[in-house]
Parts: sequence; structure tokens; C-alpha cells
Amino acid sequence: MFRRIPSSTLRLFMAVSLMPLACGASVTHAADLRHGEEVFAQECAECHSVREGKNKKGPSLSAVAGRKAASVADFVYSDAMKQSGIVWAPAALDAYVANPRKAVPGGKMKYDGLADAHDREDLIAYLGSLK
Amino acid sequence: MKTRSPSRGAVPRRVRRRSVLLLGASVALAGGMPSAHAVPSFARQTGQDCAACHVGAYGPQLTPYGMKFKIGGYTDTDGKDGKVPLSGMLVAAFTRTEMDQAEPPADHTHRNNNLTLDEASVFLAGRLSDKLGAFVQATYDGVEQRSSLDHADVRLAHTLELAGREAVLGLSVNNNPGVQDPFNTLPTWGFPYIGSAVGFTGGNAATMFNGGLEHRVLGASAYAFIDNSLYAELGTYRALSPSVQSRTGQGRGEDMGRLGGGTAYWRLAWLQDWKRQNFSAGLFGFNTDIQPDRLSGGPTNRYRDLGVDASYQFLGTREHVGTVYTSFIRERQTRNDLFAVGEADNRKGSLNEFRINASYYYKQTWGLTAGRFATRGNRDATLYGDGYANDSPDTSGTVLQADWTPWGKEDSWGAPWANLRLGLQYTMFDKFNGARRNYDGSGRDAKDNNTLFMFAWTSF
Repeated sequence: MFRRIPSSTLRLFMAVSLMPLACGASVTHAADLRHGEEVFAQECAECHSVREGKNKKGPSLSAVAGRKAASVADFVYSDAMKQSGIVWAPAALDAYVANPRKAVPGGKMKYDGLADAHDREDLIAYLGSLK
Repeated sequence: MKTRSPSRGAVPRRVRRRSVLLLGASVALAGGMPSAHAVPSFARQTGQDCAACHVGAYGPQLTPYGMKFKIGGYTDTDGKDGKVPLSGMLVAAFTRTEMDQAEPPADHTHRNNNLTLDEASVFLAGRLSDKLGAFVQATYDGVEQRSSLDHADVRLAHTLELAGREAVLGLSVNNNPGVQDPFNTLPTWGFPYIGSAVGFTGGNAATMFNGGLEHRVLGASAYAFIDNSLYAELGTYRALSPSVQSRTGQGRGEDMGRLGGGTAYWRLAWLQDWKRQNFSAGLFGFNTDIQPDRLSGGPTNRYRDLGVDASYQFLGTREHVGTVYTSFIRERQTRNDLFAVGEADNRKGSLNEFRINASYYYKQTWGLTAGRFATRGNRDATLYGDGYANDSPDTSGTVLQADWTPWGKEDSWGAPWANLRLGLQYTMFDKFNGARRNYDGSGRDAKDNNTLFMFAWTSF
């Protein structure tokens, strides 16, 4: 039986494959995206899906980059997140992933934070690739 | 979960005391029946996949996330209303032993090659209020053809900050010492997580903590989980009256007696969770005095169980997952009652139980597990007489299991409404009830009890 390849994986494959040709960049960024996907699988995937409309304990992170906080339909956010006014630009994502309780006091995400700045950078790059 | 010995049948009253000591926990060494702890109502309540809480996407092997869900009183939720905390479970199996058994292991079964409906269970499992949750199982046993109250664990949990660190304080009311434990190293939730009801999964002797009291007691324990690392618990138990045991389906005739007022269960453990991998290490103890005749002032049998356990999980990206679990229990027995009625030659004795197992899961779907178990104890010609060789309770062996869990992941069919595991398990004995060969005096060898167990285990 053949398993359907998730569209997110296809997008990642295309990004990794074509990016050096398109902009002449080194493969470093592609490797970072791969590492970012691994960081996501290790740190985030228990509670978050990258599939559009798939909410778990946390909301779907499909197309999260640039999205306004607490804007996923059919997900029950904390009041603190609703009132945060955050737009998920890379800097905001970085601050939140580094220390969720500090970035959004009273939020309900039970995560201590990702201390490694390099891991965060790759993770955010990966999340940014999810359109 | 019911303990059942293939050779059990009706236990003569004369040997009831000894049966409590030896048979009461007999096949619990390997979890004589499924220790299901993967109910889709939890997944529906939290919005999570089964794989978030369970290694291999099926219970009861918990990830740190699953441990914290249990410690949190089964109350975590995705915040949506209308969740019904009910689930069901079915287990069907085929069992073949190396050699036919002397007698059918139960009514309506054959001496070998048995196809059975082992369990049909309903669960009250999930959040009852903000701080109250339950895991209560009622089971129809298709082999014994009777229904009973199975595992029950009702919890009250509260999360707060202590000195700047998160702490969960909780209370568990349950009917089996160890059922409330969040780690998969203690007997109740240890590997193998499912076992044959009509084959052999362990010798006849086991420690009291290894299922000797299950479902015939009621206890309460207070626990604390601090900074997602330190776990501490203290509790006590009382025996259910024979009439309550009868009403809950346990059978009045197998009452083990009254527990002393000093009955205590305690637990200390440390969990280090790095997300990519984690380990735990701990100590536990269970002390009780049992008065078989329930007469005040009568002699008792005293059990002092002390254990040490550890586990390691490599979770990584969850594509390749590996685990190792181990535990050792030393039980010191003071058998004043057994000695007084002539069912033991020695007042003092001990039993040691050791287990270790390792598993590998690929894509949370394909699993391989290997485990070793060994029970060793002091000799006693009367206590370990009939059915034993060399006056010894010693049993050891290996369990191998391969299983397939096609559902329980994010994109699985039926999520979060159903899950399924199909498996093949083989238990091999080096020694059984004291000897490799002719342990029962009738020419039966330990290897004759080797058991092939094929199972289909579904929950919904």
C-alpha cells in the first residue's frame, strides 16, 4: 500500500531542491529547514499539527508565519493569548518559543521553552516554509 | 485485569492461604490479561493522537506527555465541551502451548490451541470536572465467562506554583497498589502489556505487590510531582469485605483476608525529560500484614516489598523509538499464619523478582520487544510442594513480541475514535516452578509451557 505524501513534505522537498538553483544560495539553508523539521517533530508535534485545520492540544501551525495570534478557527485559546495582540513574525515566534510563559503570561501552552537559539532559528525557518 | 493461572480451577479451601501467597499473583508477572491504558476517550478529550501519550501509538506504554496526563488526573483537555468519557475495548486471542496442558485451563476451553475472547471492557475514562478524572474499567472475561470491576483509579489533581516551580498535588483512590503509577516499570503496567489468559506467562509464585491484592482492596494515596521531575507518593489500603468482593465480581471464595492497619505503599522517582529522550529512576515499597481468617488477634502473614526501577526512552523525531525498562523487587515474608496451619515449613522467607525489557518502534507502527523475567526465592518443602520441584519457587524466561499498530497517529483512519494492535508473542521458560525438567513430578518440563499468543486488541 502506498502512503500519501503529505503536502507539507512535498513543499519542503521542493524548497530544499530548488532553492540553491533559484537563488544561488548554498545548501546550508536547506539543511536548516530539515533540521527545523526535526526540531518540530521532537519539540512540537505532540501538540501541534502542520496540517491546515488540524488542531490538537495546540492549534494548527499551518501558515503560522505572519498570522495574528489566536486566529485559528475552532480552537479554544486562553484569554491571555486572545489579548496578546501578537502577530507571529519571526521575532515574536522566537520570543514565544524561547519562553512561552514569559512571552504570554497566563497562556496555556505547557512548554518550558527551547533554549538553543540555533534550533529556534531553524524551527522558525521551517514554520515559515509552511504556506 | 484478572490474574488467572492455567492450572488454577477451584482452589480447595485447605490451601486457600497458600493460594493467596502463591497463586493470587501468579500470572500477573506477565500481566495475565491485558493492562489496557489506551482509551480513545482520552484522545477525544485532549485532541491528541494516541501516539502523543503512548510509545507505539497504543497503551499502556506512556511517553512523558502521557505520564503527565495521568499525574494531572486525566483532566487535561482541548477546552471544548461535549466530550463523553466512555470507551470500550475488545481482546481476542489464539493460544498454543508447547505441550498440551494436563487439563483444560478453564471451562469451555481445550487442553491446547484455544481461540478465546479474553476481554470485553467498558471504561469510564476521562475528565469529570476541572480537577477530577477517572480511569475505571469493567470487564467481561470471556474465558471465565463472568463480569467484574477491573482496574479503578479515580484522581483529584491540582496544579500550582511552589517556590517558582510547577507542582501537581494529587490524590488517587484505586483498587490495586501500583495501578496509579505513571511509569511502566512496576508490575501492573509493565511488559508484557498483554498476555495469554489460557497459556503460561509466569510461574506460580510472585510477590504480593505483583498483583496479589488487585481489585480486592481499596486504597488512597497522596502524591506530588514537582518541576516535572520529582515524583513522590504515599498511600494505604484496606481489604474489601467478602460481600463487596462478591458484588464487584471478584468472587467471595478467593478472599485473601484482612489487611493490617499498617499497610502502606510509597514511591519516589525522578523523571528527566529532554523531549528527544528521557529517563526515570525510582524506589518503591509495599508493606502489609494479612490475616487470612479475618479474626482479630490471629496470626498474620507479613510482606515487606522493596523495589528499584529505571527506564530510558529515546523518542527523537518519533520515527525511530527505543525504550528500556527494568525493575527489581525483593520481598521479605514472615509467614506466621502459614506456619501455624502447617502450610509452610519456615516462618521467614524471601522472593526476588527481576525484569528487564527493550523495545523498538518504527514510525509508531511496527514494534519489536524482548524481555527477561526471573523469580527466585528461598526453598520451603511445604510451601513449594505440589506442582514445584526442589522445594523452590524459581521461574525464569524470555518474552518476545512483534506487533503492528496501524492507527493511532495524526492521519490514521478512525482517529480519534478507534485504535488497533495486532501482535504475536512468544514466552519461553528456562525454569518453571523450581526446575527445568519435570517440575511437577509428572514429567512436564519448563519448556513444555512455552506459549505462543496471537492477539487482536482494539479500543474505541
